[in-house]
Amino acid sequence: MSAAEKMSRRDEMETLLPFYLNGSLEGAELEAVEEWLATDPAALAALGEAEAEFSGTAAANEAIRPPADALSRFTRALDAEAGPVRAPGQSWLAKVFGRVTAMPAGVAWAAAAALLALVIVQSFEQLGGRGNNFEVAGTQDDLAKLPFVLVKFKPDAKMADIATFLGQNGLKIAGGPTADGVFHLTIPASTAADYDKLVGLIAAQPFAEAVVQGRKPADGG
Amino acid sequence: MNAATETDRALVDRVAKGDRAAVRLLFMRHHARIYRFVARQTGSEMMADDIANEVFLELWKQAPGFEGRSEVSTWLLGIARFKALSMLRKKKEDWIDDDDAAQVPDAADTPEVVTMKEDKAAALRRFVDALAEEHRTVIDLAYYHGQSVSEIGEVLGIPVATVKTRMFYARKKLGEALKAAGYDRGWP
Repeated sequence: MSAAEKMSRRDEMETLLPFYLNGSLEGAELEAVEEWLATDPAALAALGEAEAEFSGTAAANEAIRPPADALSRFTRALDAEAGPVRAPGQSWLAKVFGRVTAMPAGVAWAAAAALLALVIVQSFEQLGGRGNNFEVAGTQDDLAKLPFVLVKFKPDAKMADIATFLGQNGLKIAGGPTADGVFHLTIPASTAADYDKLVGLIAAQPFAEAVVQGRKPADGG
Repeated sequence: MNAATETDRALVDRVAKGDRAAVRLLFMRHHARIYRFVARQTGSEMMADDIANEVFLELWKQAPGFEGRSEVSTWLLGIARFKALSMLRKKKEDWIDDDDAAQVPDAADTPEVVTMKEDKAAALRRFVDALAEEHRTVIDLAYYHGQSVSEIGEVLGIPVATVKTRMFYARKKLGEALKAAGYDRGWP
């Protein structure tokens, strides 16, 4: 290999080093850099120089501090830009519940829960199930004292899957959906550990889009 | 599943459905880097503040059309780049004039007596800052924003070969500046 060719190869490798360092190099170029690092005594020194550039560039950027109130100002700008909350793309379920949420607030959640129960029972029976084995939290429950979690289901979630899961885990629908599609589920847990376990289980379900912890039981209860 | 682990693309999907919480989450994830990118493009933190906000408002508007062909971070950087250049043109600013930005320190304007007092890291930082805008941008995008060659090409709207050429000359300039300051790294 001539000196000119060697210089050319080194130029190429030096050009690729930043991308080797940021982990974006792949394929033949990655192999070429790795081979260079393994065989050329000058390569490791070059890598060290590139690392120094990496640090210097990071320091130069991090020295620029965005304003602390950026998010709050953006939120105001977003509200001004977006206006009223945009109607989300609605699934059939959301459309059904959309009618319910138009009801007076006092009866909306109960009607929604009852409607959900109806939908779930129908779906479950259509799938050959023996009937629903979950409950919609009734007025006999002191909802204000029960542990709960807020759950948003994915738009394409299958009601049969939700119904089965609720029933198997003793979960009850206590309210919802809100305008954002969030349901209030009571959690049959007497300890914080049981609560965490159930909430984790809900979050792990493929039909759960978002899970927000609500009231947890006090330990020892 | 929680907000911390939800992918950027999943959040953009939520934004497309009108979820304002999702756009705020993306803002929290990416704002600082977008702000810094624009600040270094324009040389103005005031302009960076305005443009960074506009980038996320644009995200809100364009989310339904996002096809996921690039990473969300690359997409946002591309929007930021476009808006920064547009604003600079509109205001007829000269902050990115090549002749001005190309003043990599040389023997005439960086006396050795000054640079030798600096440690190498501080010198490098200063030299990176002093690179021509087109060179500094590829350095920033690769080293700070973690962008690949093709992603940088996408953000800047240039071919990958040009990205590599700019990277080559950017690193060459840094090497020359270091050498002039007494730090010979053996290349170029």
